[in-house]
Amino acid sequence: MASTDPIGQATRRRWRRPWIVPLALALAASGWLLAMEGQQGLARDEAQYFRAGERYWGWFETLGEALREGKPGRAFSQTVVDSFWGDNHEHPPLMKTLYGLSWRLFHRCDCVGPKQGLHPIAVHKHRTLPLFPRESTAFRFPTILLAGLGVALVYGFARRWVGPWAAAGAAVLSLAQPHTFFHAQISCFDAPIAVMAVLVALAYWKSLRSPRWGILCGVFYGLALATKHNAWLIPCFLLVHYLWMRRGDLLRLRPPRVPLAFVSMATLGPIILFALWPWLWHAPVARTREWMQRHMQHEHYNFEYLGRNWNLPPPPTQTGRWLLRATFPFVSTAFTVPVTTLVLAAAGTVVLARRRRKGAPTDEPTLISPEPPEPGARASWLRPGADVDLAPGIFLAVQILGPLATLAVPSTPIFGGVKHFLTAMPFLAMVAGVGLAWVTHQAATLVQPSLLRRALPAALAGLLCLPAVAETQRSHPDGLGHYNLLAGGFAGGASLGMNRQFWGYSVLPLLPWIKAHRPPSNRIYWHDVLHDAVMMYVRDGRLPVGIGDLGVGEPLVAQSDLGIVILEKHFAVYEYLHWEAYQTTRPTQVYAHEGVPFVVAYQRGAPPPRQEPLPP
Amino acid sequence: MALALVETANALLAPLRAPSDRDWRGAAAEVRAGFQPGDLIVAAPAWADPLLRLHLGDLIPISVAGRLDAARFGRIWEIAQRGAQAPETEGSRVAQASRHGALTLRRYERPASRVSFDFVAGWSDATVLRVTPGGEVSWCSHLPDRFECPGLPAQSVKAELLEIDTSPHLALATQPAGQATTVIEFAHVPLGRELAVGAGLHNVWLRKAGKGTVKLRVLIQGRPWGQIEAGSLSGWTLRRFDTSALAGQSPSVRFEITVDDPNARTLGFAAEARS
Repeated sequence: MASTDPIGQATRRRWRRPWIVPLALALAASGWLLAMEGQQGLARDEAQYFRAGERYWGWFETLGEALREGKPGRAFSQTVVDSFWGDNHEHPPLMKTLYGLSWRLFHRCDCVGPKQGLHPIAVHKHRTLPLFPRESTAFRFPTILLAGLGVALVYGFARRWVGPWAAAGAAVLSLAQPHTFFHAQISCFDAPIAVMAVLVALAYWKSLRSPRWGILCGVFYGLALATKHNAWLIPCFLLVHYLWMRRGDLLRLRPPRVPLAFVSMATLGPIILFALWPWLWHAPVARTREWMQRHMQHEHYNFEYLGRNWNLPPPPTQTGRWLLRATFPFVSTAFTVPVTTLVLAAAGTVVLARRRRKGAPTDEPTLISPEPPEPGARASWLRPGADVDLAPGIFLAVQILGPLATLAVPSTPIFGGVKHFLTAMPFLAMVAGVGLAWVTHQAATLVQPSLLRRALPAALAGLLCLPAVAETQRSHPDGLGHYNLLAGGFAGGASLGMNRQFWGYSVLPLLPWIKAHRPPSNRIYWHDVLHDAVMMYVRDGRLPVGIGDLGVGEPLVAQSDLGIVILEKHFAVYEYLHWEAYQTTRPTQVYAHEGVPFVVAYQRGAPPPRQEPLPP
Repeated sequence: MALALVETANALLAPLRAPSDRDWRGAAAEVRAGFQPGDLIVAAPAWADPLLRLHLGDLIPISVAGRLDAARFGRIWEIAQRGAQAPETEGSRVAQASRHGALTLRRYERPASRVSFDFVAGWSDATVLRVTPGGEVSWCSHLPDRFECPGLPAQSVKAELLEIDTSPHLALATQPAGQATTVIEFAHVPLGRELAVGAGLHNVWLRKAGKGTVKLRVLIQGRPWGQIEAGSLSGWTLRRFDTSALAGQSPSVRFEITVDDPNARTLGFAAEARS
């Protein structure tokens, strides 16, 4: 790794140990997330992964018991395996297993008291290392650690092209995005698969000149497959880069060699997935097919975009609607990533685009490590990039545009949310890092005193990361509803008709009020807050044991005496059901962020509003 | 660099510019002081409506929240922010305005339409029947809260609050029959200059699940007067039919409902005869 900064000045002693900066960045990122996650409500899917993670841990306990009894085969029977691993089998197990393991290790155990019956498996008094006051934090810890690793990986990757301050800036910008930050705190798969995408891409990149990394690429790809099904697309994006990089072969009508990284991904990937996923063990082909079909034929969710609720693929006859649907990932990116980051990414794009153009001035001084072809080297399947330029611009472009373009296809199910192309964001941050290096380079030409020139990279990195950090901090805990300066923030996003939230996480600020106003009948309608989430709020001590939960379904609203409604466009019907059931349109509580409502609560027979005279 | 400073400053200051609870309470107190029965209160932008109802919801009954449109309201209170204006107030005269922190309160006045007959409120005056393609007629029973038609128990005609195009609409709800025509007829309707009819399909999940298109034909004294088609993507369609030629008369008004595929279709429609 080069150790000269982009301006070409002195080598810095403090950068010489290459692990110090990424480690510091990872610790800072994980620390930031740990400091904030307690204000983040439990997401609907997350609550299911808590449950599944605990069940998966239950299998390891059963395995331990079987081993102690000298009958290990008992834990591997299909009945036993399925009783634990059959839960939430539409998603692969790696993260859920880590969530369960982290919970087992780090929760503060009050498991044998009145909360004993709230667990999905039989629990006893645990000996744990009680790092966290809430069980949900213990579940979330692996994501938070992995997000820290992701920040470090972005630094390491960006460091191949830019100096340490610009690379550190890229690392900060990869997390300092409100939507990314939201997902990086919770026990879901979107932040983890984004980290895995960087890990696999980094291994692939290094494998172009090193066979050892070709092997590792397959190992990491197996882990990515075991994280989330987005992993299926990773080789496609890498293949586009590989074919571009070896386009000379194609022009000479000579098919390029199949490189070790792809062989490794094709062989080690499935093997590792199979090894990590006991649910596949007894019917690998049928269940792999079931898993794939589940996601290939996924339903269209409801999602608000530009004032419309989208839940069906646009008819081909409606060209305008069809085209509008295709703009979704691009407009969402433009409205959710901090504007300064977008501008830096635009500058970085220009730098990377000009890098190899013949006859045009180059930006090589900005890029410190162009990794030129090795003199006299010959390409082989073990070192397939040895004799050619590695084309970092195309590489980054494909990693960014690939996930966005996939979600832009009108027939692709409307999954909704930046989370479905979150894998693009670390690479976008790397391009922003290149832009930051370019800005630093330009500014250095304007500054004469050497002291100032030395301070410039750090000062600019700090200044240009500041808006992203400030926007991210501002957005918390409602990062999903946050929109950037172009859109006008929370209120601007709402006025544009952009999606405000999903997963019912936003009820958390209302819990103290619900606890205080729990109806005598205990009949509470928790709209879009799954029973698993309610139970985890109880286990976390945020709701009392025995709090009512009527369950899911429109007819249940009429049976309730207190109800909440998560404000998403397609959920309007649930609010009207409360109006009819309670014979009022007046909620008794509204949770809003910067004046934009997120959740409303209704109480049957609530007293009329106070007529408080305002002071003059 | 200037952008970075602007964006940072905005991130720090924008939260302070959002309307506070005190702003809302101040605006609400002024509305209460001047509110008259029959007034409409709206929020601009519409996404602030839950906060409006938190403070003034007791003055917004379900019938007003689920209105056909705003034509019958001569006085409209608008609590606005960020320079927005509610569509209900367009073309109206500002009679009163004040600022409450980040909120602007305006009272608009305009000539209100006089409703001579509200078809939803007067649902029990109707006669409801089903007519098969062969001309066979079956009558729907008049129950205290609805008409119940032969066939599936859910097939009824009832005035209720529906979710159409993710907005509230107090409307006559019916599940169209596959082969038959559902007929809802009002024998003597005091007509004015126009007949306003709004229609759409209820319930986001049903709109997603079904594919059929529902046709609502409007006939006055047996003559076709207009038609509205409602599909999964058509939203709430509002039509104003000119009835000035029949103003002052009380002819029959008949709504005929058909569908090409009845699966997961619930039509809601509301109508007002206005002068």
